[in-house]
Amino acid sequence: MKYELQSGSRSILIAGLLLFIIAVFIIRLFWLQVVQHDYYVGVASREQVRRLVVPADRGEIYSLDMGVPNKLVLNQTVYTVFADPQTVSQPDEIVKSLDEVAGGNTRDKLKDLLTAKNSRYQILATGLTDTQAEMLKDKGYAGIGFQKENQRVYPEGSLAAQTLGFVDGEGEGKYGIEGGMNSQLAGKDGLLQSVVDVSEVPLSIGGKNIKQPAEDGKDVVLTIDRNIQHEAEKALKKGMKKVGADEGSVVIMDPNSGQIMSMANYPTFNPSKYFKVKDAAAFNNPVISDPYEPGSDIKTLTMATGIDTGVASAKSTYVNTDHITVADRTISNASKGETGRITFQHALNWSLNTGFVTVLERMGGIEGKTGHATINQQAREVLYKYFHDKLRLGQLTGLPLAGESAGIMIGPNNHAYGSLPVRYSNVAFGQGMDITMVQVAAAFGAIINGGDYYTPSVVAGTIDNDTQAFNQKTVEPTEKKVIKKQSSRDVTKMIHEARQAFYASHDKKGYYVGGKTGTSQTLENGKYVDNQTIATYLGYGGSDLKNLNYVIMVRLSGKGKNLEGGKHAMPVFTDISNWMLDYLKLAPGDKNA
Amino acid sequence: MQYKHQPQFNSRRTTRQMGRNQNTVRFVSQIKLGPVTHTVLVALMITVLGLIYLTQATRATGYDYQSQKIEDKIAELSTKKSDLEVENARLTALKTISSSKVASDMSKPDHTNYVKD
Repeated sequence: MKYELQSGSRSILIAGLLLFIIAVFIIRLFWLQVVQHDYYVGVASREQVRRLVVPADRGEIYSLDMGVPNKLVLNQTVYTVFADPQTVSQPDEIVKSLDEVAGGNTRDKLKDLLTAKNSRYQILATGLTDTQAEMLKDKGYAGIGFQKENQRVYPEGSLAAQTLGFVDGEGEGKYGIEGGMNSQLAGKDGLLQSVVDVSEVPLSIGGKNIKQPAEDGKDVVLTIDRNIQHEAEKALKKGMKKVGADEGSVVIMDPNSGQIMSMANYPTFNPSKYFKVKDAAAFNNPVISDPYEPGSDIKTLTMATGIDTGVASAKSTYVNTDHITVADRTISNASKGETGRITFQHALNWSLNTGFVTVLERMGGIEGKTGHATINQQAREVLYKYFHDKLRLGQLTGLPLAGESAGIMIGPNNHAYGSLPVRYSNVAFGQGMDITMVQVAAAFGAIINGGDYYTPSVVAGTIDNDTQAFNQKTVEPTEKKVIKKQSSRDVTKMIHEARQAFYASHDKKGYYVGGKTGTSQTLENGKYVDNQTIATYLGYGGSDLKNLNYVIMVRLSGKGKNLEGGKHAMPVFTDISNWMLDYLKLAPGDKNA
Repeated sequence: MQYKHQPQFNSRRTTRQMGRNQNTVRFVSQIKLGPVTHTVLVALMITVLGLIYLTQATRATGYDYQSQKIEDKIAELSTKKSDLEVENARLTALKTISSSKVASDMSKPDHTNYVKD
């Protein structure tokens, strides 16, 4: 017997209804799971998957301490303690605990901050260490929160501030090495993409997990020796106070490697409180960023060029009349009275401009008339070749510090800046060009070290992140024999004699110290002013002629002050130089070397 | 009595007249599984496999928590190390050294002798 449902029976209706419902479900599921698949996968990912940035540790900065790396800039995790006054219930106890745990880091009038009921956020203390924060967290006060952040720590305070620079609130390095090597110091943040649980703990389930470890920044070791830096800053501050200078800089360099041992500047700042600095000029490092006319220091380089080209020597002579005419200009000596036939050694000792204009004239193959000089193209080209091409004046040194300036050295055929003979005669005694102290110090190092030019450097190497080993950079001369070895010895002796002539008694006995004064006019609105001069002193020191260990350059200036190289800058050199001889543990050398 | 080794080979084929690859024992179950039972069994197997997967996944998640704990500990120790390094740097800073009692008790030598290598 065959059973059949009757048409229109309830069973058929129910079956039809069920089929319809199932069809609705299927269509709805198809819609959700197939058509809107990507949308819902996205929603689920947003709910369950977290993309966390794994911050890279910023590289730390080391100075040297007798050749051993010593941390100068460190990283530290610190906490800011804040309160929601509307939920704070124990203000007195909180104040007491904060005073006990974080005395020096708290804000003033804590009680007032905690009871300011119209506010929901009040900062109570900043810069707390992990231990301090844990002690406060253990108290379990209601309405108190902690914000974690990383900060740079400078245990030596403002030491070498302009060389270091600082890291701003967004983690960007500014000025100094922080700015110049920002990308290397910052490293590369990592990425962690993972399914997380309700407590935000990353779980390994899921197929879209990504773990990209952070690459920490490089730990950089500077060539700056913290003891030399400290002494240079101390001597500079003392010297400036004594003469009433407003600005001062010192650069100390190893002439046998180009490594900068110190760059000191005043005014300065504390990198941990950079935001309190009112004049951003304090962030600049004038040693590398402030080109100026260095003045008579440059006569040492002109003399070196004259000796190397064979047109002058310590004993060769010229007739000094205290004035010399070049084109339509008359150049005078600052020190007058040393007239008659004199040696170039005498001209260097007395810093006579006429002598060095004469040396330049002779580079052009001309033995001019007394009191007149003809600076021809050959002379200009020779001087430019030595100053610009060989000794690299007016060129960027490439130091990895933010804000370096190249300065200007006018070419021998560039007529855009007026009379070239006049300009080049000025260049011969240190005016008519804008160059930086570090360029001068490097050039000076080359003429006293036997004739090899070393590009100045401020990075001694890096610290290996894994082994903590100090990977030292090797140092090679950038260009060998920019002047002949004998020329170097001759000019070094002349510079020694120039110092001995006036300041022999200032130096420690038995050592070989030389130097040259510089007093340069300043330009204001394109014109030289009479009431303001820059005092500089450029010198070297070591055991003997063949073993010179340092070059020191000092520069002082003040608004409306006529400062002189010999009188004002030289004592700063002397203080540092005598200290350096002890610090470097140098024994007095062979007088006959 | 003497024993004599006499090799004796029994070949299934020869002795029992069985075909190649045929089982020697034949068993015919009396229980018959219907389609519903098959479905239930398959469902059960899938469930068991699912449970095995869940157990393993949960175990892996357990490791995640352990790993997270260790990483938290590393971070905590790393922070403590940094704090100690900062403290060490502050204690050995030039300013601290120069104002220490040891430094203030030092005096300048009257003269220095140099020894050559």
